Amino acid sequence: MKTTIFLLTIFLFMSTALSSSMRIVEMRSEKSPIITFRIQFRTGSINDVKGKEGINAFTAYLIAQGGTQELTYKQVIDKLYPWATQIDVVADKEVTTFIGETHRDHLDNFYKIFSDLILHPRFDVEDYNRLKEDGMNYLKTTLRGTNDEELGKQAMQGMLYENHPYGWTNVGTVQGITATTLEDIKVFYKTNYTQANLTIGIAGGYSKGLLERMKKDFASLPEGKNNVVELPKANPINDLEVTIVDKQSIATAISVGFPVSVTRADKDFYALMVANSYFGEHRTFNGVLMNKIRGERGINYGDYSYAENFIQDGGTRFMLPCVPRRQQFFSIWIRPTKPEDAHFSLREAIRELKKLCENGLTKEQFETTRDFLMNYSKLWVQTQNRRLGFELDSKFYNTEFFVDRLEKELKSMTVKDVNDVIKKHLQFKNAKVAIVAGNANELKEKILTNAESPIKYASKVPDAILEEDKDIVNHLLNINKGAIKIVPVNALFEK
Amino acid sequence: MFRLKSSLLFLSFLFMFVTTYASDESKIFPYPVNKVVLENGLTLISIPYESPGIVAYYTVVRTGSRNEVEIGKSGFAHFFEHMMFRGTEKYSAHAYNDAVKKLGSDANAFTDDDWTAYHLVASSSALETIMDIESDRFKNLKYAEEDFKTEAGAIMGEYNKSYSNPMLSMFEKLQDAAFTTHTYKHTTIGFLDDIKDMPNQYNYSLQFFDRWYRPDNCFLVVVGDFDQTKLVDLTKKYYGDWKRGTAKRPEVPQEPPQTAEKVISMTWKTPTLPMLAIGYHVPAFNDREVDIPALDVLSQLYFSESSSLFQKLVVEEQLVDFVDGSYQNHRDPWLFVVLSRIKDKTNIEKVQNAIYAALDEAKTKPVSAEQLANVKSHMKYQFAMGLNNADAVAVTVGNYLQITGDHESINRIYQMYAKVSAEDIMTVAKKYFTKENRTILTLTQEDSK
Repeated sequence: MKTTIFLLTIFLFMSTALSSSMRIVEMRSEKSPIITFRIQFRTGSINDVKGKEGINAFTAYLIAQGGTQELTYKQVIDKLYPWATQIDVVADKEVTTFIGETHRDHLDNFYKIFSDLILHPRFDVEDYNRLKEDGMNYLKTTLRGTNDEELGKQAMQGMLYENHPYGWTNVGTVQGITATTLEDIKVFYKTNYTQANLTIGIAGGYSKGLLERMKKDFASLPEGKNNVVELPKANPINDLEVTIVDKQSIATAISVGFPVSVTRADKDFYALMVANSYFGEHRTFNGVLMNKIRGERGINYGDYSYAENFIQDGGTRFMLPCVPRRQQFFSIWIRPTKPEDAHFSLREAIRELKKLCENGLTKEQFETTRDFLMNYSKLWVQTQNRRLGFELDSKFYNTEFFVDRLEKELKSMTVKDVNDVIKKHLQFKNAKVAIVAGNANELKEKILTNAESPIKYASKVPDAILEEDKDIVNHLLNINKGAIKIVPVNALFEK
Repeated sequence: MFRLKSSLLFLSFLFMFVTTYASDESKIFPYPVNKVVLENGLTLISIPYESPGIVAYYTVVRTGSRNEVEIGKSGFAHFFEHMMFRGTEKYSAHAYNDAVKKLGSDANAFTDDDWTAYHLVASSSALETIMDIESDRFKNLKYAEEDFKTEAGAIMGEYNKSYSNPMLSMFEKLQDAAFTTHTYKHTTIGFLDDIKDMPNQYNYSLQFFDRWYRPDNCFLVVVGDFDQTKLVDLTKKYYGDWKRGTAKRPEVPQEPPQTAEKVISMTWKTPTLPMLAIGYHVPAFNDREVDIPALDVLSQLYFSESSSLFQKLVVEEQLVDFVDGSYQNHRDPWLFVVLSRIKDKTNIEKVQNAIYAALDEAKTKPVSAEQLANVKSHMKYQFAMGLNNADAVAVTVGNYLQITGDHESINRIYQMYAKVSAEDIMTVAKKYFTKENRTILTLTQEDSK
């Protein structure tokens, strides 16, 4: 039976407009008792000041988790608390987005505080001290110490974008945060929080009057200039360039990535999404990687791939909106394995990628994956908050609404389109590989010498898998032997 | 063919309870709820919700790590959740995955202390397919011993993925120390030794399925865009022949009162800030007595962002980067856990004393009417704003169903919150936040001085 999910059509009015140099994205739904704001500035970690890496995120958090000129942080919390409203911020590479959501019972009062935080931030020294320490602790203890999966991903991205404006975490570096003063933040705010950089997003049951008020209020920001940073190409990668992060750990996390030249703005991207979904759709059993490494072999908890930067939105399995980028990368995420299975898992993942590049998808595989994405993508926008986020993303990429564009592309796509895109944009020979391991020296030696990586199973496995394993255990990885290195975890994210 | 006719004949004699609960202004849950109970004990709860073309479908099993009574079997409820994706004769694991993929659904499962839930969000037009594949695995799950052993590796992988975060180990230690008898002594993922032994437990897994995966221990929760008459017909068609359980279900041993304070500590090898966890024994969830509602309100008053303690420790003195204290709904007596991450090891005691001071204040100083009103307002709006999609409604209802078996618990607990008084707060604080009733765990980095 063919089933189709239709996109929710509860919004009475959707529009994009320009008001002076600021952009407006609105989705009005009179029935909705909730009003969502997404106020986005075209400033991200790429705008960080040299030597003060992290200043963009620091400024954003000091706004979202600080006070207004009228109210201290404590007073803001006390005001917001009875309404159960929350103000969040997502500070990414290219944009920073302030998200507020409230029930209409409190709309006027909420809007006053929310807008004051952005337009009239307090920049209190005590809040500055608190958030500075939080940022440092995130890098020094959370990332280096207690989250190996994120550590591997961040290490891989750092390698991928070495000497590039994407080359440090969104939170910055230890030295960058250390060097950032409150005065620096005030200057950064004045320079980057301008009308030229602003997009106002609003959704739900708000009045037209509110939008007019917002336009007027936000026009108090300096006109400013569009400050989009030129992005150089990421450095070329020669073979598989492996960095092993040396850290005490009972398991080994692996991330693999290489740049791709397409984003949601490009037609090819949508065919690449199909190829990626077939190969490694996030947290499903759809992907080849998941079925081969976890399903058939029980090696770890999950194995996925991504056609663009992917951050999971909280407890959902869907992508976080409002993290758009002009340059993207393809990546593979192998969740922690037992140390003795890490080399095998890396081989298996690269070998499967090679098969994808060489063989592409069959017509049936293409059709199943296309149909899946056609429906699944409708679930990405079940709330007005997420939908508004994706609307803003589409404005960033200067294309129509992401889910609509995907549907349109899928409808006309053929298996040849997908296989052509695979040939054009995917490859298996040149990639950055970050491995978080407790046995760094041993693993380095195994990888360097292309040592056999036998695997032990807890039970009898089908002969077909054992036969396949014979190839995997000796599969020659295209390792750049001169580039392989071991980095102590404490050296990461330092500067 | 014969089997089909028999089945239809059987269905025609099904005895059902059908009830519709209209939404009521005095109740916090804003949607009408339909309840149908099949003769085999399976309860269908369906809730129309404005999500055009989309339906959320939950199968709630009232079994979690709480039911892992036998020695050596901790973590089994969670392991079994994984096995439910390993197929039947009709739909192999691959066929099941293919069907789910074809629907473009968001499908997964989770296990907690008291329950296990299998959930899909998909097209409304896929409802019959969903009910076919879901009912089939609940009635006819069949997997080879080899598959069972392979999946045990994935469980180890799940343990490994979480291990770098000390929180998992902290709760392992805290629960192990706080409970002597009850199965809440172990976390949902289970003791590491038991996880390692899982590949050897194939026969037990068959017993586990037979014991718990039965209609009288399950609920279906369907939320969104569906036709009620058709839904009920499909429920009868696909679940009507599911046999009621006959296997003996072991009782969960009850925890005796704690009589003396327990103090434990642990170290961590990789960089971490010091952490402090204090667990106080509190009763099971109960929506008819004031204790649990009062503890929930107390949690907001003394540990939310607007509390004096949060302001003191996080904002003013900046000794910690977070502090929280709360109770999570449980079927049996559980813990009110206070948790904090401290920026400097030398301040652990100071933070601990600040927490005790806050709890002492809760015992002796009545909160103002304004404070109480703010908390009640916060809880009400937080609940209402959380129901922003069909999946969120389904999981909320499922959570209360697994605890009490009655979706009306949602309304009752919020009605109780409205009644909680300043006196009630002081009473529960005095009753539960005592020295002899607590277990204290501190975690520090191994080489930190």
